[in-house]
Amino acid sequence: MADRRRVNGPPGGTRPPVFASLQESTTGAAQRAQRQRQPAELRKIFLKTGLIPTASGSSYLEFEPSASLAAARSNPKSLIPPSSALKVACTVHGPKPLPRSAAFSPNLVLTTHVKYAPFAARKRRGHIRDASERDLGVHLETALRGAIIAERWPKSGLDITLTIIEAEDDRWWGDAPDSHDASWGMMNVLAGCITAASAAIADAHIDCLDLVSGGVAALVSDDSSKSASSVPRLMLDVDPAEHRSILSACVVAYMPARDEITEIWLKGDSSKAALEKGDVRSSHEALIDGAVDAARGANTVLSEAVTESIARSIAQA
Amino acid sequence: MASSAAASNPTIPSLNLPPSQFARLQPHAYLLAHLSPPAASDQPSVRANGRATSQFRVTSANAGSLTHTNGSAVVRIGDTAAVCGVRAELLHTEDIASWSVSTASEAEAGNTSQKGGSKTEDEEDRDHVQDLNLLVPNISLSTGCAPGFTPGAPPSTLAQSLSHEILSLLHTTRLVKADDLRIWYQPPNLESEEFRNAGEGMDVDSEQTGGPEPEIKAFWVLYIDIMIISLAGNPFDAAWASVLAALRDTKLPKAWWDADNETVLCSDNISDAQKLSLRGLPVSSSFCTFEADAAAGWRSVVIPNADELKSQAQKQGSQQRWILADPDGYEEGLSQERVCVVVDIEDGKTVIVKMEKHGGWAVDSDDLRQLVDVSAKRWHEMKRILDQC
Repeated sequence: MADRRRVNGPPGGTRPPVFASLQESTTGAAQRAQRQRQPAELRKIFLKTGLIPTASGSSYLEFEPSASLAAARSNPKSLIPPSSALKVACTVHGPKPLPRSAAFSPNLVLTTHVKYAPFAARKRRGHIRDASERDLGVHLETALRGAIIAERWPKSGLDITLTIIEAEDDRWWGDAPDSHDASWGMMNVLAGCITAASAAIADAHIDCLDLVSGGVAALVSDDSSKSASSVPRLMLDVDPAEHRSILSACVVAYMPARDEITEIWLKGDSSKAALEKGDVRSSHEALIDGAVDAARGANTVLSEAVTESIARSIAQA
Repeated sequence: MASSAAASNPTIPSLNLPPSQFARLQPHAYLLAHLSPPAASDQPSVRANGRATSQFRVTSANAGSLTHTNGSAVVRIGDTAAVCGVRAELLHTEDIASWSVSTASEAEAGNTSQKGGSKTEDEEDRDHVQDLNLLVPNISLSTGCAPGFTPGAPPSTLAQSLSHEILSLLHTTRLVKADDLRIWYQPPNLESEEFRNAGEGMDVDSEQTGGPEPEIKAFWVLYIDIMIISLAGNPFDAAWASVLAALRDTKLPKAWWDADNETVLCSDNISDAQKLSLRGLPVSSSFCTFEADAAAGWRSVVIPNADELKSQAQKQGSQQRWILADPDGYEEGLSQERVCVVVDIEDGKTVIVKMEKHGGWAVDSDDLRQLVDVSAKRWHEMKRILDQC
């Protein structure tokens, strides 16, 4: 059924282009991107607030492109990008009165919308929000609800809208989907969304317990499948395009000042992690701790961006 | 008018409000006070945002920053920001329901057109680009860009009308050449050899046709998606500028029909990729009119065209109005009449591609002539900005 409110393409549908290099043997295909960072080294985050003056609060977040992507950009050879870097724009509207038809609420009513731009991912996205986008919205809402002091705005609503302009890949583009496969890119997107939304909420001067930031850690095994004894290693802030397989990943939303986690999302089998000797933690604990470390790192960027936002609002007043 | 007097005299403690609050409480009087300063004061007539009436906001453009697009651009006009991404997908002719029928009729048309000349090539362009929906622009306002648009809701009336305006402008300007979007296939000349082996009786035929005709196997479809990230007035100019910048940035991979797989394959080699060759550079400029007395037109019974002299006298006498270029959100809320002029300059000659005016009768033909001049100036400015990005 065609969407009558939008301009629709050809009624028969279109097919994404198929590149000839993929049809040939894999030896001719491009090299897989390699992680250049240390296991505990995070990507740089660009975070800026107040770019959208019509909103009460706004922020824009961008991850540093991976080494392979940066190389591909400066010296383009192939039309297939090796990986992609997250770009998110976030706006906050409110607090505003709830519509008259809404039921009474003694707290601030939070609504979150996460929408991918049609050109955000390798596969073209639809205009209508799909299940994964709604899922992200729910996860984001729980992450933020724990940080906002909602009692201070009875009968009010707060709309948080995130537009994913560029998302992360779920796997390296040359790989076929396999059994370990899940939407790993979504977890990076969620971590970015949490950090961006937190900055936008602070920019809108909504009272919060603390700045909540997102972090990702994952168990990855980079060895080729020939050596079965390969042990998965714990890495922070993984770019799924840079790893052969991700066994398990965890996102947390974390408030460092209170040492509290407001949202936790763990996927995959985390039982096989190789920890250092003498480490008594279970591997999923190690995974969560890693994600918290990543969130702490993101928090330093976040607090700087919020300081900037406050300085600007003081200068304006 | 008491309020505007107080605005110019902020020392009175009882009415000491900052200008931003006056702007909200008495928007019309606020803007009017800026545009018509008292004769005693030596202030020039400027808009509330500090611009002159025919001054556009600071514009910046940046192209090619998105990874998963064939072409992309970010255009900021003041506080309005638009992100445009162009994605190319393939439309196989076997997926077009009416393809075999339309090609047959086209072949006839093609035979006649060979005498016609270059004009028919344009018509053929329009047929393919427009009839097959090869350009699919969609604008999204539900990105939280302004408070009025609820995210997640279907596109608002404004978003729908903007999408269609962009689509119709793409079609009327014939910006994208259909030839860039076609993927041809030259079937190998198998028959001639067979015929040669078979005998001489058929030779006459094959010599006449000179092998099979090249045929179109597929088209590129350009999905042009525009996200308005921030909306502070004049979304059309920003959206159109971003479309223009993104299309100028668009590279289509080299594609060919693979007869063995019966599909179209593309080369990922960037040196094989072709940039689109666009027809001209149509630049749009929007204006709005601000009337000193918004209700004057309602009260007096003015019959347009009835007495031109009278209405002109009335305009010069009582009714004062300003035509504001590139209105921001605040000014858009205070004006009824909008003008949109799209111009292109070819060899120093200004060509009006589109002219639209609605919502009032304050702008007359003289004004429109001036606006075209302003738009031509804007064209040079935009060309410089787009060439840099």
